[in-house]
Amino acid sequence: MTVPTWSQAFTAGNRGLGRLNRRRPFGRVEREAAFGGVDGSGLTVAVIDSGIEVNHPAIGGRLVQSVRVELADGRPVVVGDDGQDVVGHGTAVGGIIHSIAPAADLVSIRVLGPDNRGKGEAFLTALDWAIGQGVSVVNLSLSSKSEALYADFHALADRAYFSNVLLVSAANNVPGPSYPSLFAAVVSVAAHDVRDPSVWFYNPEPPVEFGAYGIDVSVAWRAGGRSVVTGNSFAAPHIAGVATLIRSKHPGISPFETKALLAATANDPDER
Amino acid sequence: MSPGRAGGRPSRGPRNPASTAAAARSAAADARSTAAAALAVLKAVTARVDTAARLEPAAGDAILRSVVDAAAVLIRAEAASIALHDPATDTLTFRVAAGEQGQGVVGLSIRPGDGVAGYVFATGEPLAIGETTVDPRFRRAAAEQTGYVPRSLLAVPLADDAGTMGVLEVLDRRDGAPFDLADMDAASVFARQATIAIRATGLERSTAALLREALLAIAGGERATDVEALVTGLTRELEPATWALADAVARVRDASPEQIDLVIDLLDALVRRTPRAASRYRAPGR
Repeated sequence: MTVPTWSQAFTAGNRGLGRLNRRRPFGRVEREAAFGGVDGSGLTVAVIDSGIEVNHPAIGGRLVQSVRVELADGRPVVVGDDGQDVVGHGTAVGGIIHSIAPAADLVSIRVLGPDNRGKGEAFLTALDWAIGQGVSVVNLSLSSKSEALYADFHALADRAYFSNVLLVSAANNVPGPSYPSLFAAVVSVAAHDVRDPSVWFYNPEPPVEFGAYGIDVSVAWRAGGRSVVTGNSFAAPHIAGVATLIRSKHPGISPFETKALLAATANDPDER
Repeated sequence: MSPGRAGGRPSRGPRNPASTAAAARSAAADARSTAAAALAVLKAVTARVDTAARLEPAAGDAILRSVVDAAAVLIRAEAASIALHDPATDTLTFRVAAGEQGQGVVGLSIRPGDGVAGYVFATGEPLAIGETTVDPRFRRAAAEQTGYVPRSLLAVPLADDAGTMGVLEVLDRRDGAPFDLADMDAASVFARQATIAIRATGLERSTAALLREALLAIAGGERATDVEALVTGLTRELEPATWALADAVARVRDASPEQIDLVIDLLDALVRRTPRAASRYRAPGR
C-alpha cells in the first residue's frame, strides 16, 4: 500500500530514491546558525483557517488580532472577529506555530466555519488582507480547487513574494488543482512519516518541496481541548514556525532566502 | 389536463372578430396555449421524476455501497460511510454505510463546515482524528443518535477537477490503531472510485441548480424566492430525470418576450398551487 502522492517522497523506503537523496548543491547549514537563539519576537504570523481560540493555553496569549471574512451584499469583506475558533483546526495550527516560535504574534483570519464554507473568494480576500498587513509569514492549511481562481491566487502569491511575505501552504493530497499550494512562490508542505516535529525534509522535485511532521500530532483543539490528528494541515505550521524563527534571526531576509535556509537545514533523507 | 389553469383559460372564439381587443386577446390566447404546453411539459416531466426518484437512488446507491463495503474491508475498519452534498439544501447527507455499526448514520444530514465530514468537505483536506472522545469537533450527540460512537475516524473528500461533492468517512481500525497516511491514501483511492461512479451516474448532478438557473434566466433574479419554491416543489428528491425538465425549461429561453411573460405568470400559478413547496423553502434543511 502506498501513501498519499505528495507525501510519498518523504516516507521511509522512498527517501533514499530520486532527487531527495541528491548531493546538496551547497553545504548543509547548521540550525544554530539559521535560527538558533531566537523565539520569533517582533514578527507576526497570520493563520487563515477556522479562527484561533484566544484564551487557549496553547496560544500563550500571543493572539493579537482576530478578523473574519464575511459576505456583505455578496462581496467578501474583512471584519473584526471575537477570538473564537468555530472548529478547532485554526487553534491547532496556531498552537503548533506558537510551540516553535513562542514570541511571535499571531493574527487569525477566519474563513471557515459552519456559516462559511471557505469559499475561494473569501480565501482570496483573507490572503489579500494578510499581505496588506505586512505580516512576516502566512500559514495556509487549506487550498482552493477552483480553476477559475488560478490567476487571482497566482497574482496574490507573487505579490506576497515581492512584498516580503512568506506563504506556507499545506499541499492537498487530492489530485487536481490546489491553489496557492502548487505555486513556486509559496513554501508547500506535505506530511512525512516520522513522528518528530524537529524533522523535515526538502524535496527538490516539485510541486511539494517540504515534508514535515503531520502524523499523530497532539494539537490544541476547540474549547480549550486537545486532539490527536493526522494531515498535511498540521505539517504546514511546523514549517511556518521554523520559517518564522529564520526570519526572526535574519531581519530583511527574503522569501526565497528563507526557503533556501529551510532546505539547507533540512534533515538528510537517511537520517531517520 | 391542467385543471388549475381553468380559471385563467382565455375565452377564445369569434364573438368580436373585428375588434382590436379581440385581436389582442387572440395573441394572448396563442401565448397562453404556449404556456399551457410548457406547463404540460413540466407536469409530465415532474411525474417522470417521481417515478425516477423511486428507481434511481437504489441503482446509484448500490455503486456507492460497494465502494464503502470495499473501503471498510480493505482498510480493516469497523465501518465506512459516504455523505453527498446537496446544493439545493446546502447539506451533507449520509447516503450509504458499511458495517453493522455504521448503518445508523444513513439519512443523517449535517451542514458543510459542521463536524468532521463537514470540515473535510469545506476544506478539501483529508483528516484523520484519533481519540475522538476528547475532540469537541466530533459531535458526540450526533454520533449517539446513530447508535455508534467511534474511537477514531478518517475522512477524505470526494473531489475531482470539477469540485468537491461529498466525503468518505472510515471509522475505527479493527486493530485499534489510529489511522495513518497509508490508510488515508487507501481511503483516497476509494474516494476517487466513488467520485468517478457518482459522476458517471449523475447522482451528484444538481438538477435543482440547473433548473433554478434556467428559471432565473427567464424570470429574473428578483423572483428568486418563487423560483426556489417551485424548484423545491418540483424536484423533491433530485434525480437524473430532472435534467429533462431542466432542458425543457431551458428551451423556453428562446421564446418571445410575451411568451416569457406568460412563463412568469405560470411560475406564479405553480407556486400558488404548491403550498408544500413554499413552506419547505421557508424552512430549509428540515
